[in-house]
Amino acid sequence: MMYQYFKDMADGIEAKILQDPNLPNPRKKYALETARLGSRLYSGNNTVAWCGLAVPFDLLNVMGITSCFVEFVGAALAATGTADPFLEEAEQAGFVGDTCGYHRTVMGAARKNIMPEPDFLIATTCPCSGGIAIMENLADLFNKDLFVLNVPQEDSEQNVAYLADQIKAMVEFVTRHTGEPLDEGKLRQAVENTNRARKIMEEVYQLAQNVPSPTDGRLLTNFGLVMPLFCGTEAAVEIAQAYKDEFTARVNNGIPGVPDEKLRLLWIQNRIQFDNPLVELLEKEYRANIVSDELNDIFWDPIDPQDPYPGMARRAIAIPLNGSIQRRIGHLQKLARAYNLDGAINPCNWGCRQGTGARGLISDGLRY
Amino acid sequence: MSKKNEKLGYTCAYTPLALIDAAGYTPYRILPMSECPDQAGQLLHDNLCPHVKRILDRAISKDLPDLNGVVLMNSCDAMRRLADAWERVRPADRIILLDLPATADDAAVAYFAGELARLTESLSEWSGGNITDSDIKTSIQRYNQLPALFAKLRERLRQGKLAGDSTRMQTLYNEAMMTPFEISARSLKQAAAEPVSKSPQSNGVPVFLFGNVLPDPEALTFFESCGARIIEDDLCTGSRLFTPMELGENQDLLLQISRSLLTRPPCARTFDPGQPLKMAEDILARARTSGARGVIGQTIKFCDPYLDRLPAVRKTLRQAGIPLLLLEGDCSLRSIEQQRTRIEAFIEMID
Repeated sequence: MMYQYFKDMADGIEAKILQDPNLPNPRKKYALETARLGSRLYSGNNTVAWCGLAVPFDLLNVMGITSCFVEFVGAALAATGTADPFLEEAEQAGFVGDTCGYHRTVMGAARKNIMPEPDFLIATTCPCSGGIAIMENLADLFNKDLFVLNVPQEDSEQNVAYLADQIKAMVEFVTRHTGEPLDEGKLRQAVENTNRARKIMEEVYQLAQNVPSPTDGRLLTNFGLVMPLFCGTEAAVEIAQAYKDEFTARVNNGIPGVPDEKLRLLWIQNRIQFDNPLVELLEKEYRANIVSDELNDIFWDPIDPQDPYPGMARRAIAIPLNGSIQRRIGHLQKLARAYNLDGAINPCNWGCRQGTGARGLISDGLRY
Repeated sequence: MSKKNEKLGYTCAYTPLALIDAAGYTPYRILPMSECPDQAGQLLHDNLCPHVKRILDRAISKDLPDLNGVVLMNSCDAMRRLADAWERVRPADRIILLDLPATADDAAVAYFAGELARLTESLSEWSGGNITDSDIKTSIQRYNQLPALFAKLRERLRQGKLAGDSTRMQTLYNEAMMTPFEISARSLKQAAAEPVSKSPQSNGVPVFLFGNVLPDPEALTFFESCGARIIEDDLCTGSRLFTPMELGENQDLLLQISRSLLTRPPCARTFDPGQPLKMAEDILARARTSGARGVIGQTIKFCDPYLDRLPAVRKTLRQAGIPLLLLEGDCSLRSIEQQRTRIEAFIEMID
């Protein structure tokens, strides 16, 4: 069922892109790659790994692993309005309503056999305690091997070395399951792709900073969150380039994302995934534009293709949801200045300790 | 090295008490027990761990003894935020946050030993003196006396022969968490030297209690008033804090402390990826060994590490035919008292 859903979605988007292939079509290309990932996850023909958010997906892509963070499934089910029965299933199994909605949906989906069975799982301690607990539950439910990446809080020599060593151990873990060693040449190429995508994404974000912004509250939804899944591939470069072309054209031609943009807003953490009128309401009623998302930013340095593990470790440590709140606030303040922001929205999802845990501290920090 | 009775605050059972002792400080557990007003909500959301918020309340209200510094562990999201909020409300305090791996493999043990080295440096700086291996070894040997004494008392508790029952036990735990070693060791030795008595509450139904934070001795009295006799616990404000550290010859001391802490009976946040949800089996094994007729799980609200693992505990105990009652609270006695009917019904059921 899910395979067909994603395949039909991919076919449909592809057909639409082909109707006018000369247009940049950034959102369609982004959605197409997401649908392709979905169909690969559900095809039954690929080696699948369910992961935590901070896993180096470029490395897994090189190793031929179809990998994804589990929250992706929760988001997809919420976005299609089908999460309710899975939430109920999880709650009946004892996962209380005070915990994360993404994770409860995922647990419910796994229990109802809607999640593809993975070949193995790779958890990360970042971004949250709930996420790693759910990975442990999934490993038990699927009876599959689990690898854990402990992501330290701060970027120090010792911390980077520790995480880099763990990533190397992760490669060995994957090899043990696939029987395929890592191809160092392909890894270098993948890292170069990651760096290319990174540079273009940086330019995309710079273009979005224009006043008025060429983006609107929808174009870059979940972008910084989902793009890492495609890192290391040509597709990531192509998607980023499409956004750059679209935004460049809009800026050059004076086409704003939101007509008569009046207020410029920052969205903290990730978007509300279920269908809701908020973005439209903000635009229509207030001419308010969500020009920036907390995770839509380049917060890591280019990675050395000759020695990629320390760079991958630094990238994971640098995720804004990791580390001290002072660092996170510093990042939000940087975005506030770069985007000329008027305000920020912090969606306090009840079950999310990351989203809500620091609400007061962030609120305080952004006032100054 | 002695700093006399100067205290160093801590909040988590993974804190290396022996290192704090080696620096000449008294480790002082900041327990979520206070009458101070709720103010933490200004900085931390309503849905964050009440344990952490109560501790922050105490910090805001200055409801603390003089502390020479605070040692926090990055054990979960809430503790991470506590460190952030503490720095905001008490910017002049000396504070260190240690990263705590979620696993106990060799690499994690080595990494955590590095974090302990960082702590040792800070403690040396704060105390104004070097902490030597000899200091650490002496402190480990001192602190290793406590688990042995507690083990004796726990055995007596299990047999229903500890005067004062689990309430007394919790009082002793609290004393050991907050007072200088000499005082707590003396109390424990005195308790162990008492003639074995028939406990006044020994006709209660034997129950194994697990969870996270429940430091108020009155909470244990309350359980007993409901007909339960708590014969063993697995709480981070109870038995989990006092476990012996193995001291091998010619081995790196910090590595040994690290391994001891990471491999002690774990809080839900630490696990073995090779044995997912083993916590449930561990609880079952301890409940069986203790001779309990039922299990009470007492967790604080919004604690993801526990909440997300309780379904496995429930399933495992159900399959083993061991009755389980799960309670959620906010660290206050008030929140537990509201559950009297449930607890009494549970005890009646297993009696």
